[in-house]
Amino acid sequence: MSEPTTSRTVTVTINGTMVEREVATSKLLVHFLRDDLDLTGTHIGCDTGNCGACTVQVGGEAVKSCMMLAVQADGLDVTTVEGLAGDSGVLTPLQRSFGEHHALQCGYCTPGMLMSATALLEHTPHPTEDEVKVALQGNICRCTGYWNIVEAVVAAGKSGSA
Amino acid sequence: MLLREVEYARPASIDEAIRLLAEHDGARALAGGQTLVNVMKARAASPDVLVDLADLAELRTISFSADQSALEIGAMVTSSQIVGSSEVEVARPILAEVASTIADLQVRNRGTIGGNICVNDPTNHFPPLLVALGASMTIQGRDGERTVSAEEFFLGVYFTAVGEGELLTRISVPTRSAGTGDAMTGITLGAHGTYIVSAAASVGSVGVRIAIGCVSSVPERATAMEQQLVGGDYSDAAVKAAAAGLGASLDPPSDVHAAADYRRHLAEVSAVRAVLQAAERARG
Amino acid sequence: MTTVETTKTAALEKGTAKGQSVPRKEDRRLVEGQGTFVDDIKRHGMGYLHFVRSPYAHAKLGSIDVSAALELPGVYGTLTGDEVAILTDPFFQIAAPPGAAVKDYALAVGKVRYVGEPVVAVVAETRELARDAAELVEVNYEPLPVLVDARKGQDADAPILHEDCEGNVSYSGVWEWGDLDAAFAEADHVVKISELHFDRFNSTPLETNGALVEFNRGTGQWTIHTNNQFPGFAAIMMGPAMRVGLDKLRIVTQDIGGGFGNKITSHPQLVVCCLLARKLKRAIQWTEWRTDFHQSMSHGNERWFHDTEVAVKADGTLLGFRTKALDDAGAYLRYEPLGGVIWAQVAPGLYRWRNIRLEFTQVMTNKAPVSPNRGYSRMQHLWLTERIIDIVAHELGFDPVEIRKKNYVQPEQMPYETPNGCVYDSGDYPRALDIALDLVGYSGLEERRAEAASRGKLLGLGIGLTLDSGTNNFGQSQLINPDLQFSGNNEVATVKLDIFGEVVVTLGTTPQGQGHETTASQVVADIIGCDVDTVHVRVGHDSYWNSHAGFSGTYASQFAVTGLGAVKGASDMLAVEMKKLASMVFQCSPDDIELADGFARIKGNPEAALPFMALGAIVNANNAGFPEDPPTLNCRFVYRPPFDVPDKETKKGQLTLTYATQIHACIVEVDPETGVYEIVDYAAVDDCGTRINPQIVEGQVMGATAHAIGAAMWETFAYDEDGNLLTPNFYDYHVPHAMDMPPLKTGSIESPSPFTSLGTKGMGEGGGGGIHCVCAALQDALRASGGAIVYDSHNPYHRVWEMLQDPGPSRANVEVSAT
Repeated sequence: MSEPTTSRTVTVTINGTMVEREVATSKLLVHFLRDDLDLTGTHIGCDTGNCGACTVQVGGEAVKSCMMLAVQADGLDVTTVEGLAGDSGVLTPLQRSFGEHHALQCGYCTPGMLMSATALLEHTPHPTEDEVKVALQGNICRCTGYWNIVEAVVAAGKSGSA
Repeated sequence: MLLREVEYARPASIDEAIRLLAEHDGARALAGGQTLVNVMKARAASPDVLVDLADLAELRTISFSADQSALEIGAMVTSSQIVGSSEVEVARPILAEVASTIADLQVRNRGTIGGNICVNDPTNHFPPLLVALGASMTIQGRDGERTVSAEEFFLGVYFTAVGEGELLTRISVPTRSAGTGDAMTGITLGAHGTYIVSAAASVGSVGVRIAIGCVSSVPERATAMEQQLVGGDYSDAAVKAAAAGLGASLDPPSDVHAAADYRRHLAEVSAVRAVLQAAERARG
Repeated sequence: MTTVETTKTAALEKGTAKGQSVPRKEDRRLVEGQGTFVDDIKRHGMGYLHFVRSPYAHAKLGSIDVSAALELPGVYGTLTGDEVAILTDPFFQIAAPPGAAVKDYALAVGKVRYVGEPVVAVVAETRELARDAAELVEVNYEPLPVLVDARKGQDADAPILHEDCEGNVSYSGVWEWGDLDAAFAEADHVVKISELHFDRFNSTPLETNGALVEFNRGTGQWTIHTNNQFPGFAAIMMGPAMRVGLDKLRIVTQDIGGGFGNKITSHPQLVVCCLLARKLKRAIQWTEWRTDFHQSMSHGNERWFHDTEVAVKADGTLLGFRTKALDDAGAYLRYEPLGGVIWAQVAPGLYRWRNIRLEFTQVMTNKAPVSPNRGYSRMQHLWLTERIIDIVAHELGFDPVEIRKKNYVQPEQMPYETPNGCVYDSGDYPRALDIALDLVGYSGLEERRAEAASRGKLLGLGIGLTLDSGTNNFGQSQLINPDLQFSGNNEVATVKLDIFGEVVVTLGTTPQGQGHETTASQVVADIIGCDVDTVHVRVGHDSYWNSHAGFSGTYASQFAVTGLGAVKGASDMLAVEMKKLASMVFQCSPDDIELADGFARIKGNPEAALPFMALGAIVNANNAGFPEDPPTLNCRFVYRPPFDVPDKETKKGQLTLTYATQIHACIVEVDPETGVYEIVDYAAVDDCGTRINPQIVEGQVMGATAHAIGAAMWETFAYDEDGNLLTPNFYDYHVPHAMDMPPLKTGSIESPSPFTSLGTKGMGEGGGGGIHCVCAALQDALRASGGAIVYDSHNPYHRVWEMLQDPGPSRANVEVSAT
């Protein structure tokens, strides 16, 4: 039987490492990542779930970590931008492509963009321009106008795996 | 951001979920959370207890009814699941077509059909669509199940036939028969954006059902227009003639995106376009 | 197939690195999530700040009770306006009377004047708790009548925002050059436009404002980690208000998540953080919410143009215009009324008319304060000049392309002095326009129009031209307040050769994505002869350690001139010192030394070569026995453009140093049944002189294009009659998403500036070219359905539908008379 509580122990595998923490049930996943675990690559750009700067992968799918409670991630795998290159420090083809195509300026939306695009490339390794736009529609960028971002993702798909 | 303190429970069965909802004042079911969590961030609502339905696997299935006459969609089925469902593709593809334009991919990955219709925001996609398709909803409480039609289900914004201590468990959508065509269209703020006005239409052997979104707190059936089209003449001229007066019959809100008059006009245009497209699809 | 196509133009003579799209140094950390943005910074025991904000647009403040908040366990303390009024002086006002009388504090004192105005600050152990506690603060408001429409601001019964100003006007002035009477006497036609409206919006950088502020009680110094993009200005505002010298304010920035001018005026919130850090003896963390940003920060200037009259000759020659500009400043003057002069940098637009009169009046309203926004104040004015051209062409039957080309300042006239003494340094507007038209397929326009008509669509072409006037002469501020003591401009860089031969650069700038680390490295590498990769540019601004000057920051399209001018100056100095040092070692003349490939070597003798490491070691660690003082290899250069103070009587003078151009053209298709429209082709052609990094320049053009498309179609800060913002979040304030963007083609030409050491021009703002061209394209499309006149910069679908339903009101706005 499950009775309501205001805090719970959650066990989450983040970027391949299992983490067990006591967390307030009202805490958003994004604050759990940023404030409790110091994974500050995941950003916050709005308070209404529109901007996508907080996008991470949960259970292999792109989700906005500001519209999910930390306790909802209990038992699941979470990947953040810090987990893309991983300990090896070797950038993924997508990360490299972002640099090559000038797909970032201020870099604030970039982690969210990378996480949405990485999920896309995992499902659709060679996406068309339109498929990329659909996959990135939940991520706001105010610097680039998106053209170079779309180009970078399409190019990463052409070059090989994500 | 920064929610008020809230109690949280994660039941393992539907019965347990219903018990939790019934036993705790101010308890609310948490589905995908793509609206509810936002509402709580704004502190526009602060439930005392969240009953997370995440572990209720039986609410996450898409299947056919015993007689194959209906698609049975669990309340916790996400929009992305609907988009990728082979059952939906065969039986009622409009559901996937519409689901694929809801908000954005991240929201579709978590947002559920049950959450979408229980919120019943006037700009939401599924409420008018399900009214046009003649869907029905199954609600479970401590005393068992009941089923209501889509039109009976929607009562107002955040207000549906689901009572206190009850849970929406599934949505039943009639499977498409030969000669049926469905369409949904409207005007959005940007591509795949929030609807300013929407219209869903379903043309079948018994006539057409039309529902308009964003013009009141519930999807509005365009019954007068439906009746004028009873004869089955879905020509451009006939459909436009049938829509005349639809706008005037509505009392839509004015806001920063559209004045009431513009919404009335868009309701007519959208209804015409939805019916024409549905009729074309019905012809195959 | 991608949507971006760039036309390549013949490459100019380049150095090795300069002029190439070298990869950005910033990217590695940003794609790994290892950037340091302000909310990422944590300190032991820090307190989180949450503002209690006004729910009223205009109200008298009654009692404030914070006791319930303070009783909550974990709440560290609060700050109210009463305390602020004791601890600080009102912020310095840029305005002359009447605006000079505005009393602006870090928290509301006595009254609130817009929804979202900070009233009380609450600090607590966690973010959540600070918000909980803020909800317990009780504030009594006595609501007052609200002024939302600037056009009613001078009515006899208008509510007064600032009683000390005896009215709502913050600034007014008449700007007139040439001979208007003669121009209108010479004209064959006079086109009158009764009202045009430039809408209120801003660039909504994705990262909101924030700070982490520490106070050192031993030294009395604050360290302010922030994302403010103009620390020099913030310090000038904060120091006097806080009654401390500027050295007590150490301002540090690192990665900034977009700025676009919107992060210049956060000084009130920074003062609150400073006061609380001192009061509560702990670090204070403040991160603005998105809703707070929309409600309170740096809206772009909303502007009306009334009674515009244009003098036109029968052959289409434009002689001049007169108009009355009414600017809505919002509730406080945080950077205003500088908008009252900034427009004059581009007074004639790109055209040769010599007679201009503009009566400028700025009114304060119960809306968020305006502050710089990409294209600040010039965008509004250039929209006017472009609207004038297209309305004149529409009404008198001229071709919009031909009338432009006929009246453009021509390339052979460069440098061109405008009627108000500004000097357009270089450019080829007709050529840039031809390239843009070619890119959108202008030659097949009529066929496309007919094809669209066959599908029931209205198709139209529009052109929008902008000038990025860059490198301000701050002396222009004296044209709105003769008592101000600002003039000229400056920026600082240091370049040094360190002990192991590392090249280390510091900048005074605060980039928000413009790639300064990269372009500075390119300039340094070419001058001292090394790889771009071996140049280390320190990340961010630090007023304590970095070189900086009073105008240091990143704003107003100037880095390529001021920042890189300083980098070049310091690099040149270092190169001289390195050659001198090598010549001392080799006992030859410095002229015999060349710097290349990381060596100082004797020309023609590759054996006689010292690696940079040897030079650095000699000076820093091995200098005994040197016959004379070796150089320091640590060079600081202050770049200062050659400006005079403009003439206060005639309001003439050089207001900016360089003028980059962007020419935008687009094709729209309108659904006449609904007013919904779509941009189906778009081109932007840039000319910013010599480009250090073409890819970065193109990125700026793209960003400016996206902002302008957003503002033209969706983005608006709309208020209801009670002063509530109707678009306080990204649901209702729809910014374009990836699926909303039209196919884009970019092109470029390079007209090097004769006034800058590198031939560069400041660029990046783009001046709203997309707004101008979307308006023009809509008007062109609507020509076939009633001929409405586009009168607003913001055209959502419902406005287009209204113009289609009844073009009458917009047409009544315009009158043509023969003289």
